[in-house]
Amino acid sequence: MKLNLLLKRLFAFIAAIALHQLAFAQTSVTGKVTDQSTGAPLSNVNVTIKGTSRGTTTNDNGVFSINLQQGDAVLVFSSTGFAETEIDINGRSTIDVTLSTSSTKLSEVVVVGYGTQSRRDLTGAVASVKGDAIQNLPVSSASQALQGRAAGVNVVRSGGNPGNPGSIRIRGTGTINNADPLIIIDGIPAGDLNAVNPNDIASIEVLKDASASAIYGTRAANGVVIVTTKRGGFEQPMRMNVNAYTGMSNAIKTLDMLDAATLVELKRERFTNDGLTINPVWNDPSNSTQRTNWQDELFRTGTVNNIDVALSGGSAKSSYMLSAGMYDEKGIITNSFFKRYSMRLNSDHRIGKRLKVGQSIQLTRSNDNSLNTLSAQDGLIWSAIRFMPFIPVKNDDGSWGTSKASNEFGDINNPIFTANTIDADNINTRLLANINAEYEILKGLKFKVNLGVDGNHYTGRNFNIIISDQTRTRNNNSLGRSFSESYSLLGEYFLSYSNIFAGKHKLDAVAGYTSQTFDGDNFSAAKRDFLNEDPNQRFLDVGQTLQGIGGNRYYDALQSVFGRINYDYDQRYLFTATFRADGSSKFADGNKWGYFPAFSAGWRISNEKFFNVSFIDELKLTAGWGQLGNQNVNRLQYLALIGNGGRYSFNNNTTVGNTQTRLPNPNISWETAEMSNIGLSAELFNRKLAVNLNYFDKKTRDMLLSPPTIGTVGTLSIPDQNVGVLKNSGFEMDLSYSNRAGEFSYRLGANAAFIKNKVIELYDGNFIGSRTYGRPNEEISRTYEGLPIGIFYGWRTDGLYQTTDDISKDPNIANDPRRTAGLIEPGDVRFLDINGDGLIDDRDRVNLGSPHPKMVYGFNADFNYKGFDLGLFFLGNAGVKIFNADRMQGLDPTYSFNMYEEVKDRWTGPGTSNSIPRMTTRRNNRNYRTSDMFIEKGDFLRLKNLSIGYTLNDKLTNRLGIGKTRFYITGQNVFTVTGYSGLDPELGYTDGNRQINVDYAQYPQSRTWIFGLNVTF
Amino acid sequence: MKHTIVYKGFLLLLAVGAVSCNKDLLDSPPYGQSTSADFWRNADDAVSASNALYSFLGDEYTFAHTEQTWDICSDDQWRAGDHPEDQAIEDFTVEPSNPQLNDSWARKYEIVSRANAVLINVPEINMDNALKNRILGEAHFIRGLIYWQFYKIYGEVPLILEANVRENNYNVPKASMAEMEAQIESDFLAAADLLLTTNDNANLGRATKGAAWGYLAKFYMYKENFPKVIEFGNKVITGPYALAPSFGDNFTPATKNNPEVLFSIQCTEGWTENVASIYYGPRPWGGWGFQEPIDDLADEFEPGDERMGYTMAKVGDMIDAGASNGGLQPVPAGLTNTGYFFRKYVSWRPDGGLDNNMNIVMLRASDIYLLVAEAKIRSGQNGDNEINAVRRRNNIPDVSNATMQDLIHERRVELAGENERHLDLMRWDRANIIDLRAHYAINRGQWKPARTFTRPKNYKFPIPQRQIDLSNGVLIQNPDYQ
Repeated sequence: MKLNLLLKRLFAFIAAIALHQLAFAQTSVTGKVTDQSTGAPLSNVNVTIKGTSRGTTTNDNGVFSINLQQGDAVLVFSSTGFAETEIDINGRSTIDVTLSTSSTKLSEVVVVGYGTQSRRDLTGAVASVKGDAIQNLPVSSASQALQGRAAGVNVVRSGGNPGNPGSIRIRGTGTINNADPLIIIDGIPAGDLNAVNPNDIASIEVLKDASASAIYGTRAANGVVIVTTKRGGFEQPMRMNVNAYTGMSNAIKTLDMLDAATLVELKRERFTNDGLTINPVWNDPSNSTQRTNWQDELFRTGTVNNIDVALSGGSAKSSYMLSAGMYDEKGIITNSFFKRYSMRLNSDHRIGKRLKVGQSIQLTRSNDNSLNTLSAQDGLIWSAIRFMPFIPVKNDDGSWGTSKASNEFGDINNPIFTANTIDADNINTRLLANINAEYEILKGLKFKVNLGVDGNHYTGRNFNIIISDQTRTRNNNSLGRSFSESYSLLGEYFLSYSNIFAGKHKLDAVAGYTSQTFDGDNFSAAKRDFLNEDPNQRFLDVGQTLQGIGGNRYYDALQSVFGRINYDYDQRYLFTATFRADGSSKFADGNKWGYFPAFSAGWRISNEKFFNVSFIDELKLTAGWGQLGNQNVNRLQYLALIGNGGRYSFNNNTTVGNTQTRLPNPNISWETAEMSNIGLSAELFNRKLAVNLNYFDKKTRDMLLSPPTIGTVGTLSIPDQNVGVLKNSGFEMDLSYSNRAGEFSYRLGANAAFIKNKVIELYDGNFIGSRTYGRPNEEISRTYEGLPIGIFYGWRTDGLYQTTDDISKDPNIANDPRRTAGLIEPGDVRFLDINGDGLIDDRDRVNLGSPHPKMVYGFNADFNYKGFDLGLFFLGNAGVKIFNADRMQGLDPTYSFNMYEEVKDRWTGPGTSNSIPRMTTRRNNRNYRTSDMFIEKGDFLRLKNLSIGYTLNDKLTNRLGIGKTRFYITGQNVFTVTGYSGLDPELGYTDGNRQINVDYAQYPQSRTWIFGLNVTF
Repeated sequence: MKHTIVYKGFLLLLAVGAVSCNKDLLDSPPYGQSTSADFWRNADDAVSASNALYSFLGDEYTFAHTEQTWDICSDDQWRAGDHPEDQAIEDFTVEPSNPQLNDSWARKYEIVSRANAVLINVPEINMDNALKNRILGEAHFIRGLIYWQFYKIYGEVPLILEANVRENNYNVPKASMAEMEAQIESDFLAAADLLLTTNDNANLGRATKGAAWGYLAKFYMYKENFPKVIEFGNKVITGPYALAPSFGDNFTPATKNNPEVLFSIQCTEGWTENVASIYYGPRPWGGWGFQEPIDDLADEFEPGDERMGYTMAKVGDMIDAGASNGGLQPVPAGLTNTGYFFRKYVSWRPDGGLDNNMNIVMLRASDIYLLVAEAKIRSGQNGDNEINAVRRRNNIPDVSNATMQDLIHERRVELAGENERHLDLMRWDRANIIDLRAHYAINRGQWKPARTFTRPKNYKFPIPQRQIDLSNGVLIQNPDYQ
């Protein structure tokens, strides 16, 4: 009854809104729009009434006509390539307008820490990405959408699984430990971008250099990403925006593997070559029958669906934006998914003349399942590549196909079985909210308060079934549940002052205090022996045996004072000075506080009287220097801790021991990044072309890392130590150009970054190892002083030995005991003896190249013609190497796995192959060790987004009583140009920052096509 | 008027902020963990530290697998499994970068470090003296055990002792052979002195005097100090460490802690996993199929010797692999590569699945009987009593006037798969009792072709390259691997 009434009222309300749109049409205004520089009429210029969604476009003669309602006061004219222009109506019925061209770049206002600045006045390096650019892309996180949008802002995807946000790297990998930038969402330092619905974002600013980011001193060493969400406008009539899209995704590529018949032939050849009896399983004709392409079985068509609705508006005193959204992605592998429900309310209020109060609140709930796609023991894609092609997905009796029949079939579980029986998910429920107030004490002097909370509730569950019919069995079923709650409280108090003295001296200053605390509490429990594995029985109550219960909590805090002064003399000379002092609970008393200054200056050359270059409209030179801090390391490392030393039992009486779990480092303190920046920004050709060039040099000192430690210490954790210096330096370029020809308008943009990474100093001159690959624990990546982080390290090769004569005469192995023992045979790899001792061993390993791209670039082109729009966005890497570890193992015949199809072209006699070794069951020459044979060029150019849209004619939408309506089709990863032979050249990090671009058969990115609709009411 | 409420609210916000300015804000307590300053208070802490001495012994990269790998060099078994690094170990082509070497290195020192912590801190605790002695004895025993293992595999390694911990001095050169031996001897002697003769039921599995005496007997055998072998061996033989009625009792969960088992790594279903079981178990029955016996070992058993069936399964043997693996059944052909698998580490629960109640046997009294017999034979005495004590329970005839040949045979079949064979063969080669180079040059078929054993290089394994790198020149590679 009550609900019914409520619904009726709701309908009445909606009807009222709709009527409101129609009922008050009163007068109209007409006019003509022309180009200021040529005087030509401009067609297809958008004319809207400020604060509403009502609008029209000019016709071929540049003429427009628009109906007005009570309260309409200002017209807004906008067109690509021209500066947006606002004209007061003032009761007029005819308004003619001229538009001037502009790239709009320098006129925009950018958000910097604790304030905003006009781009013209910036002396630091700040990149801006407008919300429009990243909206309605089929991605779960705004960080993915940020990839390739700005020079020096790299987003490294470590897999295309749904919900994987990728790692943001600003100006290179800033440190060997956590190099993630600080993310600020509506004023709250909030860890990551995942919780925000990308469609709620109004703009993203990236503070790249020290001068810009030093105001966030402590956590700014790796850059700062500031996200501002959309808000309502004062005096803005209510507007509703609905976004919906739906689409499908597919695997871009699969690897070619041997078919069953060829595989059996090659398996037999291994034994024959070694003079061994062929294992009888390879005589069974059933094993030569091709039954399954496992990659095709594993990859399915994924789906992605999004709907969000935003309601915004405002009166003279209050404004609001309320949005709700749902994003649902099912990945291209069974059981991989990401789902997010989000809600946001932003509001602003003017109370009296001096006080403003605002708030933002965001509630999200996301659910995902991360599959294992990084292991060379049981990763899903790794398994599908290797599983025997003659094994069926399911047997005739309905049971899952299995490799159990013989050791020769590999100790891999049926990957389709695995994908289908995984039962795990992670649910995060997150509240991100702040309330802020601003009080104007005197003209230009304001006191501001910002209080925020970032709370997250995590629940994880993982049910493991009993596995008895597969090779890797599991004796007991079990259920693990974990819960954790974390909340962070923020308080910020600051004064800001802004004034112009004597017309020429502009001063802006801000100073304040801030503190943030981080509390967390976790609990987990696990039980095993569930008598019934029915999904309805998978609860802890049902388990027969308690496996364990655990829980703990943590606390971190930061406390800071900060200040910044911007001084501008005559719009020609700009100065900025910033200082921040930070205390961190991560360090012991005496080492808690770090002090981070920064200075920068700018010279607007184009405002000098002597400057008179007609085609340059704006020219500014900037330079800056500053220090930034990083404390993103484990807490309490200054203490020696005693903790759990593992389980044991005596005569089945269970015990847990205690032992020292960490060595202390009482001296641990801040990691400091020192950065210099020189920038040049210009607008040319009637502001059609905007150019922004930056050179930076960043040295990270006292880099915190846990040095590899001699084994005599034991296995307890070694604390991070302030050792090591890392340098990143590079050149960044952003260009944008916009123009129009008649009704055709376009905007082109390009950005590129050339960044060099080099370890200047590393603890005692030793190297840092990294994750090893597969069963033989092949070392792939090492970090050395004098080289970039994580270079590939291994042997050099020179083809294959063709004859026994080659072997006996090869100086590389003149003294090699393996040669004298007859363990090297024709068809084996010729490794190069680098140290000249006539034998191949560990000491012949060398630097095989850097995994870091020489250039990361992106470019975009947007075209508009009448109602049509076309957007293209490309990104790419150039000058990059990949270590294809999957291929290293995929060619190796000594494993009981399927092999790459190219093994067909193996060495079978002199002259048959110089790159693919002979078939053998033995590893005498270790042909498949880390070597240059498996290094490939990883350059790629990817059409990341292609979008084609059509906006309905406003006559039609007016008749329908709706506002701006656009239909579109968008493709993600439409095509990729690359010479790389693996599944995906975007491989990402596989061991913190210590290993990158190593192919483990990661979850590849998929090609996605969506169809969408955007309607404004 | 309305505005005053808002202003009051604004002031309240300021007040909240002022509270958050307190000076303890930056103090982060180590929740749930003790600092070293507030541990080592009482007997409970001491016992819990002693428990931690054992928990790493059953690690995959210590005695549950890595330390079991060295015996694939012997003529008893083929490496099987799919770890390429094992081929190099088996073929004597091992390089210092072989991951098996480095995997176990720091873990063994972790166990040493736990023992050192006990030896440094427990003496200061005010607690029951008997318990304190037992715990200190356990620490000496475990440290001795690890250095003993290091000594057998690498020869000389750095000795990290209490003083190194106190001085935070871990990057030290290798100790000499004499220093290694002195340390092993003194740790086992101290352990023998401090430990209990037997433990109560709740503590079965902790080290005992018998275990320490047993390792001392073996240590003196490596030193060829036969009187000491006999002296300490007889302490075991005359102590409460009787041989089990059946050889198989030692490898059966229900009787796993019978007195013959001087020391074993204790495993309990649902609490700790017996990783050795997984490595040795055949693939189709839930294991990973490593380290398979070969014909040469099977042929060594005398007809009717009951030990063979308990040691290894062959095609056709009736084995109960548990319900989910098909229950009681003859071992099918093709279950393993060589047709055999070791049973000393593997048994199945009735419902199927490897039984984690199996222990990993480290030292048995029968080994000590045979050491005493060997010491007697090699010093011109008669060792028949000890050999026959070991033989008698297996339904085979006694031997008389046993020779070294008999002794070598007896040790091989009694201890097959217990990581003694390759070490024994090297020991006898050094003593010129056998010619190991010739012995390993024999082609034993597909699973054990002829191999080249190089003296003295292959008496030792190389120090892991990673450790040499990390030591910055302090740690020197074993000479033949330089």
